[in-house]
Amino acid sequence: MSVEDILAAENELTHLLGAQQAVVLSTRIRLARNLEGLPFPGWAKIPQRKEIADQCVGALEALPKFRRAHVVRMSELGDRDRAVLVERHLVSKELAAGKSGAAVISRDQTCSVMVNEEDHLRIQVVKAGWHLRGTWHIAEQLDDALGGSLKLAFSDRLGFLTACPTNVGTGLRASAMVHLPGLCLAGHMDKVSRALNQDGLAVRGWLGEGTEAAGNVFQISNQQTLGLSEEAILKHLGGWIKNVVEQEWNARRKLAQEEGEKFVDRLSRSLGLLRSARLLTSSEAMNMLSHLRLACDMGCLPEERRHLVDRLMIEGQPAHVQARAGQELDSDGRDRRRAAVVREALKDFPDLVPPSA
Amino acid sequence: MSQPLKCSLCEEAATVHLSQVVHGKVTKVHLCEACAQKGGAMDPAVFQLADALTTASPAPTLICPQCGFTDIDFRKRGRLGCPSCWETFGDVLGGLLRKVQHEPSHVGRTPAGASPVGRLRRRLDDARREMEKAITGEDYEAAARLRDEIAVIEQQLATS
Repeated sequence: MSVEDILAAENELTHLLGAQQAVVLSTRIRLARNLEGLPFPGWAKIPQRKEIADQCVGALEALPKFRRAHVVRMSELGDRDRAVLVERHLVSKELAAGKSGAAVISRDQTCSVMVNEEDHLRIQVVKAGWHLRGTWHIAEQLDDALGGSLKLAFSDRLGFLTACPTNVGTGLRASAMVHLPGLCLAGHMDKVSRALNQDGLAVRGWLGEGTEAAGNVFQISNQQTLGLSEEAILKHLGGWIKNVVEQEWNARRKLAQEEGEKFVDRLSRSLGLLRSARLLTSSEAMNMLSHLRLACDMGCLPEERRHLVDRLMIEGQPAHVQARAGQELDSDGRDRRRAAVVREALKDFPDLVPPSA
Repeated sequence: MSQPLKCSLCEEAATVHLSQVVHGKVTKVHLCEACAQKGGAMDPAVFQLADALTTASPAPTLICPQCGFTDIDFRKRGRLGCPSCWETFGDVLGGLLRKVQHEPSHVGRTPAGASPVGRLRRRLDDARREMEKAITGEDYEAAARLRDEIAVIEQQLATS
Protein backbone atom coordinates (compact mmCIF):
# COMPACT_ATOMS: atom_id res chain seq x y z
CA MET A 1 0.00 0.00 0.00
CA SER A 2 1.19 3.41 -0.83
CA VAL A 3 -0.01 5.84 1.85
CA GLU A 4 3.40 5.41 3.45
CA ASP A 5 5.04 6.23 0.12
CA ILE A 6 2.84 9.28 -0.21
CA LEU A 7 3.91 10.46 3.23
CA ALA A 8 7.58 9.79 2.58
CA ALA A 9 7.73 11.44 -0.86
CA GLU A 10 8.77 15.06 -1.14
CA ASN A 11 6.12 17.16 -2.82
CA GLU A 12 5.33 20.78 -3.56
CA LEU A 13 3.19 21.46 -0.53
CA THR A 14 5.45 19.98 2.14
CA HIS A 15 8.89 20.63 0.67
CA LEU A 16 10.25 23.70 -1.03
CA LEU A 17 9.89 22.43 -4.57
CA GLY A 18 7.45 24.93 -6.03
CA ALA A 19 7.32 28.65 -5.58
CA GLN A 20 6.18 29.27 -2.02
CA GLN A 21 4.33 32.47 -1.49
CA ALA A 22 3.19 34.76 1.26
CA VAL A 23 -0.60 34.78 1.74
CA VAL A 24 -1.62 32.20 -0.91
CA LEU A 25 -0.62 28.71 0.23
CA SER A 26 -2.00 26.82 -2.73
CA THR A 27 -4.21 26.97 -5.79
CA ARG A 28 -6.67 24.20 -6.55
CA ILE A 29 -8.84 23.29 -9.54
CA ARG A 30 -11.56 20.69 -9.30
CA LEU A 31 -13.64 19.34 -12.18
CA ALA A 32 -16.70 17.13 -11.64
CA ARG A 33 -17.30 14.61 -14.44
CA ASN A 34 -19.58 11.61 -14.94
CA LEU A 35 -19.88 8.68 -17.31
CA GLU A 36 -22.85 8.52 -19.61
CA GLY A 37 -25.48 5.85 -18.94
CA LEU A 38 -24.52 4.95 -15.38
CA PRO A 39 -26.19 6.12 -12.17
CA PHE A 40 -24.34 8.59 -9.97
CA PRO A 41 -22.41 6.85 -7.13
CA GLY A 42 -24.95 7.83 -4.45
CA TRP A 43 -27.74 6.02 -6.33
CA ALA A 44 -25.72 3.21 -7.98
CA LYS A 45 -25.87 -0.39 -6.78
CA ILE A 46 -22.66 -2.04 -5.62
CA PRO A 47 -21.93 -3.87 -8.92
CA GLN A 48 -22.51 -0.60 -10.83
CA ARG A 49 -20.13 1.24 -8.54
CA LYS A 50 -17.57 -1.44 -9.21
CA GLU A 51 -18.07 -1.02 -12.94
CA ILE A 52 -17.63 2.76 -12.58
CA ALA A 53 -14.43 2.28 -10.57
CA ASP A 54 -13.00 -0.22 -13.06
CA GLN A 55 -13.73 2.01 -16.07
CA CYS A 56 -12.45 5.19 -14.48
CA VAL A 57 -9.35 3.78 -12.80
CA GLY A 58 -8.47 1.93 -16.01
CA ALA A 59 -8.75 5.11 -18.10
CA LEU A 60 -6.74 7.11 -15.59
CA GLU A 61 -3.92 4.60 -15.31
CA ALA A 62 -3.47 4.73 -19.08
CA LEU A 63 -2.70 8.48 -19.02
CA PRO A 64 0.97 9.58 -19.08
CA LYS A 65 0.25 11.99 -16.20
CA PHE A 66 -0.58 8.99 -14.00
CA ARG A 67 2.39 6.84 -14.86
CA ARG A 68 3.43 5.00 -11.70
CA ALA A 69 0.53 6.68 -9.90
CA HIS A 70 -0.71 5.66 -6.48
CA VAL A 71 -4.04 3.87 -6.81
CA VAL A 72 -5.74 3.75 -3.44
CA ARG A 73 -9.03 1.98 -2.79
CA MET A 74 -10.84 3.12 0.35
CA SER A 75 -11.95 -0.43 1.18
CA GLU A 76 -8.32 -1.49 1.47
CA LEU A 77 -7.23 1.32 3.79
CA GLY A 78 -7.40 1.59 7.56
CA ASP A 79 -8.97 4.58 9.31
CA ARG A 80 -5.66 6.30 9.90
CA ASP A 81 -4.44 6.06 6.30
CA ARG A 82 -7.73 7.42 5.03
CA ALA A 83 -7.49 10.31 7.50
CA VAL A 84 -3.94 11.07 6.30
CA LEU A 85 -5.21 11.40 2.72
CA VAL A 86 -8.00 13.72 3.88
CA GLU A 87 -5.57 15.87 5.86
CA ARG A 88 -3.42 16.21 2.72
CA HIS A 89 -6.52 17.19 0.71
CA LEU A 90 -5.83 14.29 -1.64
CA VAL A 91 -9.30 12.86 -0.98
CA SER A 92 -12.44 14.34 0.59
CA LYS A 93 -14.00 13.30 3.88
CA GLU A 94 -16.98 11.95 1.91
CA LEU A 95 -14.80 9.68 -0.22
CA ALA A 96 -12.93 8.43 2.86
CA ALA A 97 -16.20 7.67 4.66
CA GLY A 98 -17.48 5.29 1.95
CA LYS A 99 -16.24 1.85 0.98
CA SER A 100 -16.50 1.96 -2.80
CA GLY A 101 -14.40 5.06 -3.45
CA ALA A 102 -10.94 5.07 -4.96
CA ALA A 103 -8.35 7.71 -5.76
CA VAL A 104 -5.64 7.83 -8.38
CA ILE A 105 -2.87 10.14 -7.23
CA SER A 106 -0.03 11.25 -9.50
CA ARG A 107 3.52 10.51 -8.39
CA ASP A 108 4.22 14.18 -7.61
CA GLN A 109 0.86 14.47 -5.75
CA THR A 110 -0.25 17.51 -7.75
CA CYS A 111 -3.07 15.60 -9.48
CA SER A 112 -5.53 13.35 -7.74
CA VAL A 113 -8.72 11.98 -9.20
CA MET A 114 -11.41 10.71 -6.87
CA VAL A 115 -13.61 7.96 -8.26
CA ASN A 116 -17.10 7.25 -6.88
CA GLU A 117 -17.33 10.30 -4.70
CA GLU A 118 -20.52 12.32 -5.24
CA ASP A 119 -19.73 12.16 -8.96
CA HIS A 120 -18.02 9.39 -10.90
CA LEU A 121 -14.90 11.50 -11.34
CA ARG A 122 -13.55 14.42 -9.39
CA ILE A 123 -10.38 15.68 -11.05
CA GLN A 124 -8.22 17.76 -8.74
CA VAL A 125 -5.02 19.66 -9.45
CA VAL A 126 -3.13 21.49 -6.70
CA LYS A 127 -0.09 23.74 -6.97
CA ALA A 128 1.76 25.43 -4.13
CA GLY A 129 1.41 29.21 -4.18
CA TRP A 130 -0.79 31.25 -6.52
CA HIS A 131 -0.80 29.72 -10.00
CA LEU A 132 -4.33 29.86 -11.30
CA ARG A 133 -3.50 29.63 -15.01
CA GLY A 134 -0.89 26.90 -14.67
CA THR A 135 -3.14 24.81 -12.43
CA TRP A 136 -6.08 25.27 -14.78
CA HIS A 137 -3.97 24.31 -17.76
CA ILE A 138 -3.06 20.93 -16.20
CA ALA A 139 -6.69 20.24 -15.29
CA GLU A 140 -7.81 21.14 -18.81
CA GLN A 141 -5.32 18.71 -20.34
CA LEU A 142 -6.40 15.93 -17.98
CA ASP A 143 -10.04 16.63 -18.78
CA ASP A 144 -9.38 16.45 -22.52
CA ALA A 145 -7.40 13.24 -22.15
CA LEU A 146 -10.19 11.63 -20.11
CA GLY A 147 -12.90 12.93 -22.44
CA GLY A 148 -11.02 11.23 -25.27
CA SER A 149 -11.12 7.79 -23.64
CA LEU A 150 -14.39 7.91 -21.64
CA LYS A 151 -17.87 8.88 -22.77
CA LEU A 152 -18.72 11.74 -20.44
CA ALA A 153 -22.27 12.79 -19.56
CA PHE A 154 -22.82 16.14 -21.27
CA SER A 155 -25.74 18.15 -22.56
CA ASP A 156 -25.48 21.09 -24.94
CA ARG A 157 -27.80 23.14 -22.77
CA LEU A 158 -26.57 22.18 -19.29
CA GLY A 159 -22.94 21.27 -19.91
CA PHE A 160 -21.34 18.52 -17.83
CA LEU A 161 -24.08 16.70 -15.91
CA THR A 162 -23.43 16.16 -12.21
CA ALA A 163 -25.21 14.57 -9.26
CA CYS A 164 -25.76 17.91 -7.54
CA PRO A 165 -27.31 20.96 -9.24
CA THR A 166 -24.63 23.17 -7.66
CA ASN A 167 -21.92 21.61 -9.87
CA VAL A 168 -23.63 21.27 -13.24
CA GLY A 169 -22.28 23.12 -16.27
CA THR A 170 -18.53 23.52 -16.08
CA GLY A 171 -18.26 21.26 -12.99
CA LEU A 172 -15.46 23.65 -12.07
CA ARG A 173 -14.55 24.65 -8.56
CA ALA A 174 -11.46 26.88 -8.53
CA SER A 175 -10.05 27.83 -5.16
CA ALA A 176 -7.18 29.42 -3.34
CA MET A 177 -6.02 28.48 0.14
CA VAL A 178 -5.15 31.78 1.76
CA HIS A 179 -3.47 32.66 5.03
CA LEU A 180 -5.08 35.80 6.45
CA PRO A 181 -3.69 36.53 9.94
CA GLY A 182 -3.63 40.29 9.28
CA LEU A 183 -7.33 40.52 8.42
CA CYS A 184 -8.19 38.17 11.33
CA LEU A 185 -6.15 40.11 13.90
CA ALA A 186 -7.61 43.39 12.67
CA GLY A 187 -11.13 41.94 13.02
CA HIS A 188 -12.00 42.43 9.33
CA MET A 189 -12.52 38.80 8.37
CA ASP A 190 -16.33 38.84 8.77
CA LYS A 191 -16.58 41.85 6.51
CA VAL A 192 -14.34 40.26 3.88
CA SER A 193 -16.29 36.97 4.01
CA ARG A 194 -19.56 38.80 3.53
CA ALA A 195 -18.26 40.75 0.55
CA LEU A 196 -16.99 37.55 -1.07
CA ASN A 197 -20.27 35.71 -0.40
CA GLN A 198 -22.27 38.51 -1.93
CA ASP A 199 -20.25 38.29 -5.10
CA GLY A 200 -20.70 34.53 -5.55
CA LEU A 201 -17.61 33.22 -3.76
CA ALA A 202 -17.57 30.78 -0.83
CA VAL A 203 -15.22 31.11 2.15
CA ARG A 204 -14.47 27.93 4.07
CA GLY A 205 -12.04 26.65 6.69
CA TRP A 206 -8.81 24.72 6.22
CA LEU A 207 -10.36 21.33 5.41
CA GLY A 208 -13.21 22.61 3.26
CA GLU A 209 -16.92 22.54 3.87
CA GLY A 210 -18.05 22.77 7.48
CA THR A 211 -14.60 23.10 9.01
CA GLU A 212 -13.19 25.86 11.15
CA ALA A 213 -10.53 28.21 9.96
CA ALA A 214 -7.71 26.96 12.17
CA GLY A 215 -4.50 28.92 11.78
CA ASN A 216 -6.24 31.78 9.93
CA VAL A 217 -6.25 29.65 6.78
CA PHE A 218 -9.28 29.96 4.50
CA GLN A 219 -10.35 28.41 1.25
CA ILE A 220 -11.98 30.81 -1.20
CA SER A 221 -13.80 29.32 -4.19
CA ASN A 222 -16.41 30.04 -6.85
CA GLN A 223 -19.96 28.90 -6.13
CA GLN A 224 -21.60 29.09 -9.54
CA THR A 225 -20.72 26.59 -12.23
CA LEU A 226 -23.46 27.16 -14.81
CA GLY A 227 -23.90 30.10 -17.13
CA LEU A 228 -20.30 31.24 -16.80
CA SER A 229 -17.40 30.05 -18.91
CA GLU A 230 -14.33 28.55 -17.20
CA GLU A 231 -12.46 31.66 -18.29
CA ALA A 232 -15.00 33.94 -16.60
CA ILE A 233 -14.96 31.86 -13.40
CA LEU A 234 -11.16 31.98 -13.18
CA LYS A 235 -11.05 35.69 -13.92
CA HIS A 236 -13.65 36.44 -11.26
CA LEU A 237 -11.83 34.40 -8.61
CA GLY A 238 -8.45 35.76 -9.69
CA GLY A 239 -9.62 39.35 -9.37
CA TRP A 240 -10.93 38.78 -5.87
CA ILE A 241 -7.87 36.87 -4.66
CA LYS A 242 -5.66 39.72 -5.84
CA ASN A 243 -7.89 42.10 -3.94
CA VAL A 244 -7.87 39.97 -0.75
CA VAL A 245 -4.08 39.59 -0.89
CA GLU A 246 -3.73 43.37 -1.15
CA GLN A 247 -6.08 43.94 1.78
CA GLU A 248 -4.22 41.34 3.82
CA TRP A 249 -0.93 43.15 3.21
CA ASN A 250 -2.48 46.48 4.12
CA ALA A 251 -3.80 45.00 7.37
CA ARG A 252 -0.41 43.48 8.19
CA ARG A 253 1.50 46.68 7.54
CA LYS A 254 -0.96 48.70 9.56
CA LEU A 255 -0.75 46.26 12.48
CA ALA A 256 3.04 46.20 12.41
CA GLN A 257 3.17 49.99 12.31
CA GLU A 258 0.56 50.64 14.97
CA GLU A 259 1.62 47.93 17.37
CA GLY A 260 5.38 48.36 16.94
CA GLU A 261 7.19 46.23 19.49
CA LYS A 262 3.96 44.50 20.53
CA PHE A 263 3.63 43.05 17.05
CA VAL A 264 7.02 41.32 17.17
CA ASP A 265 6.39 40.38 20.81
CA ARG A 266 3.21 38.53 19.89
CA LEU A 267 4.94 36.53 17.15
CA SER A 268 8.04 35.91 19.32
CA ARG A 269 5.89 34.51 22.11
CA SER A 270 4.40 31.99 19.69
CA LEU A 271 7.87 30.84 18.67
CA GLY A 272 8.87 30.60 22.34
CA LEU A 273 5.80 28.59 23.20
CA LEU A 274 6.16 26.23 20.24
CA ARG A 275 9.83 25.71 21.14
CA SER A 276 9.13 24.77 24.73
CA ALA A 277 5.62 23.25 24.88
CA ARG A 278 5.42 19.63 26.00
CA LEU A 279 1.78 19.14 25.03
CA LEU A 280 0.41 20.86 21.94
CA THR A 281 -3.13 20.50 20.60
CA SER A 282 -3.71 20.61 16.89
CA SER A 283 -5.55 23.95 16.85
CA GLU A 284 -3.04 25.52 19.26
CA ALA A 285 -0.21 24.46 16.96
CA MET A 286 -2.02 25.78 13.87
CA ASN A 287 -2.68 29.14 15.45
CA MET A 288 0.91 29.62 16.57
CA LEU A 289 2.39 28.30 13.33
CA SER A 290 0.22 30.92 11.64
CA HIS A 291 2.17 33.54 13.62
CA LEU A 292 5.47 32.06 12.46
CA ARG A 293 4.32 32.11 8.84
CA LEU A 294 3.38 35.76 9.29
CA ALA A 295 6.83 36.41 10.79
CA CYS A 296 8.50 34.84 7.72
CA ASP A 297 6.33 36.93 5.35
CA MET A 298 7.12 40.14 7.25
CA GLY A 299 10.88 39.61 7.36
CA CYS A 300 10.92 38.95 11.14
CA LEU A 301 12.20 35.44 10.34
CA PRO A 302 14.19 34.40 7.25
CA GLU A 303 11.81 33.79 4.35
CA GLU A 304 13.39 30.45 3.49
CA ARG A 305 12.01 29.06 6.77
CA ARG A 306 8.43 29.44 5.57
CA HIS A 307 8.23 26.06 3.83
CA LEU A 308 9.12 24.34 7.11
CA VAL A 309 6.22 26.14 8.81
CA ASP A 310 3.91 25.00 5.99
CA ARG A 311 5.09 21.45 6.39
CA LEU A 312 4.45 21.53 10.14
CA MET A 313 0.92 22.83 9.53
CA ILE A 314 0.21 19.76 7.38
CA GLU A 315 2.15 17.23 9.43
CA GLY A 316 0.85 18.51 12.77
CA GLN A 317 -2.64 17.21 11.98
CA PRO A 318 -3.82 14.24 14.09
CA ALA A 319 -3.58 11.41 11.54
CA HIS A 320 -0.19 12.63 10.29
CA VAL A 321 1.19 12.69 13.84
CA GLN A 322 0.07 9.10 14.38
CA ALA A 323 1.29 7.91 11.00
CA ARG A 324 4.71 9.40 11.72
CA ALA A 325 4.76 7.76 15.14
CA GLY A 326 3.74 4.50 13.50
CA GLN A 327 1.08 3.83 16.11
CA GLU A 328 -2.36 4.80 17.33
CA LEU A 329 -2.11 7.49 19.98
CA ASP A 330 -4.75 8.89 22.34
CA SER A 331 -5.31 12.62 22.42
CA ASP A 332 -2.62 13.25 25.08
CA GLY A 333 -0.21 11.03 23.23
CA ARG A 334 -0.78 12.97 20.02
CA ASP A 335 -0.32 16.31 21.78
CA ARG A 336 2.93 15.07 23.33
CA ARG A 337 4.21 13.72 20.04
CA ARG A 338 3.17 16.84 18.11
CA ALA A 339 5.00 19.03 20.63
CA ALA A 340 8.14 16.90 20.25
CA VAL A 341 8.09 17.11 16.44
CA VAL A 342 7.56 20.87 16.49
CA ARG A 343 10.25 21.43 19.15
CA GLU A 344 12.76 19.45 17.10
CA ALA A 345 11.90 21.27 13.87
CA LEU A 346 12.17 24.73 15.42
CA LYS A 347 15.20 24.21 17.60
CA ASP A 348 17.58 26.12 15.34
CA PHE A 349 15.12 28.85 14.34
CA PRO A 350 16.71 32.27 14.86
CA ASP A 351 15.15 34.91 17.12
CA LEU A 352 12.73 37.35 15.52
CA VAL A 353 13.85 40.75 14.30
CA PRO A 354 11.61 43.81 13.63
CA PRO A 355 9.57 43.59 10.39
CA SER A 356 11.08 44.71 7.13
CA ALA A 357 8.05 44.27 4.88
CA MET B 1 -65.54 13.52 14.81
CA SER B 2 -66.58 10.16 13.39
CA GLN B 3 -63.13 8.68 12.80
CA PRO B 4 -60.53 8.72 15.57
CA LEU B 5 -57.19 10.30 14.59
CA LYS B 6 -54.35 7.91 13.91
CA CYS B 7 -50.83 8.19 15.35
CA SER B 8 -48.54 9.97 12.88
CA LEU B 9 -45.84 7.38 13.48
CA CYS B 10 -47.53 3.97 13.81
CA GLU B 11 -51.20 4.14 12.77
CA GLU B 12 -52.50 3.29 16.28
CA ALA B 13 -55.28 5.47 17.64
CA ALA B 14 -53.78 8.78 18.70
CA THR B 15 -54.38 9.98 22.22
CA VAL B 16 -51.72 12.70 22.45
CA HIS B 17 -52.24 15.78 20.30
CA LEU B 18 -49.51 18.36 19.94
CA SER B 19 -49.38 21.69 18.17
CA GLN B 20 -46.23 23.63 17.53
CA VAL B 21 -45.87 27.08 16.04
CA VAL B 22 -42.65 27.73 14.15
CA HIS B 23 -42.24 31.00 12.23
CA GLY B 24 -45.99 31.48 12.30
CA LYS B 25 -46.68 28.04 10.80
CA VAL B 26 -48.70 25.61 12.90
CA THR B 27 -47.66 21.96 12.84
CA LYS B 28 -49.94 19.38 14.44
CA VAL B 29 -48.74 15.96 15.47
CA HIS B 30 -50.95 13.17 16.74
CA LEU B 31 -49.33 10.33 18.63
CA CYS B 32 -50.43 7.16 20.37
CA GLU B 33 -49.52 6.69 24.02
CA ALA B 34 -46.55 4.40 23.24
CA CYS B 35 -44.97 6.61 20.55
CA ALA B 36 -45.43 9.72 22.68
CA GLN B 37 -43.53 8.06 25.55
CA LYS B 38 -40.88 6.52 23.32
CA GLY B 39 -40.10 9.60 21.26
CA GLY B 40 -40.50 12.08 24.07
CA ALA B 41 -43.51 14.12 23.10
CA MET B 42 -41.67 17.38 23.53
CA ASP B 43 -38.75 16.35 21.34
CA PRO B 44 -38.67 18.66 18.31
CA ALA B 45 -37.35 15.71 16.30
CA VAL B 46 -40.78 14.12 16.57
CA PHE B 47 -42.22 17.08 14.74
CA GLN B 48 -39.58 16.84 12.07
CA LEU B 49 -40.09 13.12 11.66
CA ALA B 50 -43.85 13.48 11.47
CA ASP B 51 -43.38 16.32 9.02
CA ALA B 52 -41.13 14.21 6.83
CA LEU B 53 -43.61 11.33 6.94
CA THR B 54 -46.58 13.44 6.01
CA THR B 55 -44.85 15.33 3.20
CA ALA B 56 -43.19 12.22 1.82
CA SER B 57 -46.37 10.14 1.69
CA PRO B 58 -47.82 11.35 -1.64
CA ALA B 59 -46.89 9.13 -4.58
CA PRO B 60 -44.04 10.30 -6.80
CA THR B 61 -45.13 12.26 -9.85
CA LEU B 62 -41.92 11.87 -11.85
CA ILE B 63 -39.79 8.75 -12.27
CA CYS B 64 -36.57 8.59 -14.26
CA PRO B 65 -37.03 5.84 -16.88
CA GLN B 66 -33.29 5.17 -16.86
CA CYS B 67 -32.62 4.66 -13.15
CA GLY B 68 -35.96 4.69 -11.28
CA PHE B 69 -35.13 7.82 -9.29
CA THR B 70 -38.21 9.86 -8.29
CA ASP B 71 -38.92 13.50 -7.51
CA ILE B 72 -39.43 12.43 -3.89
CA ASP B 73 -35.93 10.90 -3.81
CA PHE B 74 -34.61 14.22 -5.08
CA ARG B 75 -36.42 16.18 -2.40
CA LYS B 76 -34.95 13.87 0.24
CA ARG B 77 -31.36 13.75 -1.02
CA GLY B 78 -30.80 16.95 -2.97
CA ARG B 79 -28.82 14.89 -5.51
CA LEU B 80 -29.94 13.24 -8.75
CA GLY B 81 -29.88 9.55 -9.63
CA CYS B 82 -28.19 9.50 -13.04
CA PRO B 83 -27.34 11.82 -15.96
CA SER B 84 -30.74 11.12 -17.58
CA CYS B 85 -32.49 12.50 -14.48
CA TRP B 86 -31.55 15.95 -15.75
CA GLU B 87 -34.05 15.46 -18.56
CA THR B 88 -36.73 13.81 -16.44
CA PHE B 89 -36.66 16.51 -13.77
CA GLY B 90 -35.88 19.38 -16.14
CA ASP B 91 -38.85 21.50 -15.06
CA VAL B 92 -38.30 20.97 -11.33
CA LEU B 93 -34.60 21.73 -11.72
CA GLY B 94 -35.08 24.80 -13.91
CA GLY B 95 -36.41 26.86 -11.01
CA LEU B 96 -33.70 25.61 -8.68
CA LEU B 97 -30.93 26.37 -11.17
CA ARG B 98 -32.14 29.93 -11.54
CA LYS B 99 -31.75 30.28 -7.78
CA VAL B 100 -28.34 28.66 -7.23
CA GLN B 101 -26.63 29.32 -10.56
CA HIS B 102 -25.59 32.32 -12.61
CA GLU B 103 -27.59 31.57 -15.75
CA PRO B 104 -29.64 28.48 -16.59
CA SER B 105 -27.54 27.44 -19.60
CA HIS B 106 -23.97 26.26 -20.15
CA VAL B 107 -21.38 28.48 -21.83
CA GLY B 108 -18.18 26.58 -21.00
CA ARG B 109 -16.10 23.74 -22.40
CA THR B 110 -17.31 20.64 -24.19
CA PRO B 111 -15.88 17.15 -23.70
CA ALA B 112 -12.98 16.24 -25.97
CA GLY B 113 -15.04 13.39 -27.41
CA ALA B 114 -18.17 15.50 -28.02
CA SER B 115 -19.89 15.37 -31.40
CA PRO B 116 -18.67 17.91 -33.97
CA VAL B 117 -22.23 19.16 -34.43
CA GLY B 118 -22.51 19.94 -30.72
CA ARG B 119 -19.26 21.85 -30.88
CA LEU B 120 -20.41 23.86 -33.90
CA ARG B 121 -23.68 24.73 -32.19
CA ARG B 122 -21.88 25.94 -29.12
CA ARG B 123 -19.42 27.97 -31.17
CA LEU B 124 -22.38 29.49 -33.01
CA ASP B 125 -23.96 30.57 -29.70
CA ASP B 126 -20.67 32.06 -28.55
CA ALA B 127 -20.05 33.85 -31.83
CA ARG B 128 -23.56 35.37 -31.78
CA ARG B 129 -23.02 36.61 -28.24
CA GLU B 130 -19.61 38.01 -29.12
CA MET B 131 -21.03 39.76 -32.16
CA GLU B 132 -23.74 41.47 -30.10
CA LYS B 133 -21.08 42.60 -27.68
CA ALA B 134 -18.88 43.89 -30.49
CA ILE B 135 -21.80 45.87 -31.92
CA THR B 136 -22.63 47.39 -28.52
CA GLY B 137 -18.96 48.25 -28.11
CA GLU B 138 -18.95 49.74 -31.64
CA ASP B 139 -16.14 47.40 -32.71
CA TYR B 140 -17.52 46.94 -36.20
CA GLU B 141 -14.40 45.26 -37.55
CA ALA B 142 -14.76 42.43 -35.02
CA ALA B 143 -18.51 42.30 -35.61
CA ALA B 144 -17.99 41.82 -39.35
CA ARG B 145 -15.47 39.05 -38.74
CA LEU B 146 -17.91 37.30 -36.41
CA ARG B 147 -20.78 37.73 -38.88
CA ASP B 148 -18.71 35.89 -41.51
CA GLU B 149 -17.83 33.14 -39.04
CA ILE B 150 -21.51 32.74 -38.11
CA ALA B 151 -22.46 32.40 -41.77
CA VAL B 152 -19.83 29.66 -42.26
CA ILE B 153 -20.97 27.73 -39.17
CA GLU B 154 -24.61 28.00 -40.18
CA GLN B 155 -23.79 26.57 -43.56
CA GLN B 156 -21.76 23.74 -42.01
CA LEU B 157 -24.66 22.91 -39.69
CA ALA B 158 -27.15 22.97 -42.57
CA THR B 159 -25.13 20.44 -44.54
CA SER B 160 -24.17 18.14 -41.64
